[in-house]
Amino acid sequence: MKAEYKIPGGKLLACTVETQNDVINELKISGDFFMHPEETIGKLERAILGSKVTDYPDRIRGFFKNTKVTLLGVAEDDFINVIKIALDAQ
Amino acid sequence: MTDQWRLIDMRIENAPTQMAIDEAIAMARLRYDTPNTIRLYRWNPSGVSIGYFQNIEKEVNLPNCKKYGVDVIRRITGGGAVYHDYNGEITYSLVAPENDPKMPHDILESYQVICSAIIHGLKYIDVESEFKPVNDIIAGGKKISGNAQTRRHGVVLQHGTILVDTDIHRMFEVLRVSEAKISDKLIKAVEDRVTNIRRYLDTDISFQEVHDALVRGFEETFDIELVPDELTREEDDYVKQLYDKYTSKEWVFQR
Repeated sequence: MKAEYKIPGGKLLACTVETQNDVINELKISGDFFMHPEETIGKLERAILGSKVTDYPDRIRGFFKNTKVTLLGVAEDDFINVIKIALDAQ
Repeated sequence: MTDQWRLIDMRIENAPTQMAIDEAIAMARLRYDTPNTIRLYRWNPSGVSIGYFQNIEKEVNLPNCKKYGVDVIRRITGGGAVYHDYNGEITYSLVAPENDPKMPHDILESYQVICSAIIHGLKYIDVESEFKPVNDIIAGGKKISGNAQTRRHGVVLQHGTILVDTDIHRMFEVLRVSEAKISDKLIKAVEDRVTNIRRYLDTDISFQEVHDALVRGFEETFDIELVPDELTREEDDYVKQLYDKYTSKEWVFQR
């Protein structure tokens, strides 16, 4: 499933998600936002993989709570929203 | 006393070389105590650069890039896709330590400070522009410059594009802005959002004039003297290593 989400302020956030038995087993996030350090995006994706489709918001919140990262043009909740849009489109 | 920064001036290279040079300067800055550096450069052949987080298939019309001989590269910086038109665009980059007294610690503030050098320089060629957060410069309400920053190796690396006379039709043949085919109507909509220096001034202006204005903008904004010089041997070695990364499928097609 794919979703695109126009973040308030103008940046674009997109994702592709695949699930099996209500578990997220594939995820790729993309967009024209900024995240420092950039490599954190891979860690965020890995943190969400294996999560139940009901649990990923907690995983995302937990990840940002425990990870030193600076976001610009995107916020924690935007990642939750874009994945929700993709899952709802199923 | 006015600080001296290095100017690597107007190197014309292909996309992977340009991106490798920017990263090499950032890697070497603290490790080899190289000077703070400004680069002004052009891309030959013309190239498309996409942001670190962007999906290449979604942003770039790869068949058209192939058709027109346009290089496609992924940057180490976030942000959006840029068409670096050899005949219509100047790119700059800046490398300075994160703890440099002239560099704000806050990332958004540092965008504003670095962009203010561009804005100040453009005044010398009668372009009145302003910073539009997060990372754009606009003139007459339209985008004239896009900028992107990363912080690694203890330094700030910011690079950005200054649109001089970009071929906007070609730009939207190589970038995918919409699923719709490139129609006159779409081009018109884009023209309402993007401009370039020649269009803004409605007069011809040379790369040299834009270059000189930008040099002055950086010098006066940062209270520095830009001294033309070359890359060090260590930087050249990094460029060779990084070239392989920037041309690898694993890097370019990673998302």
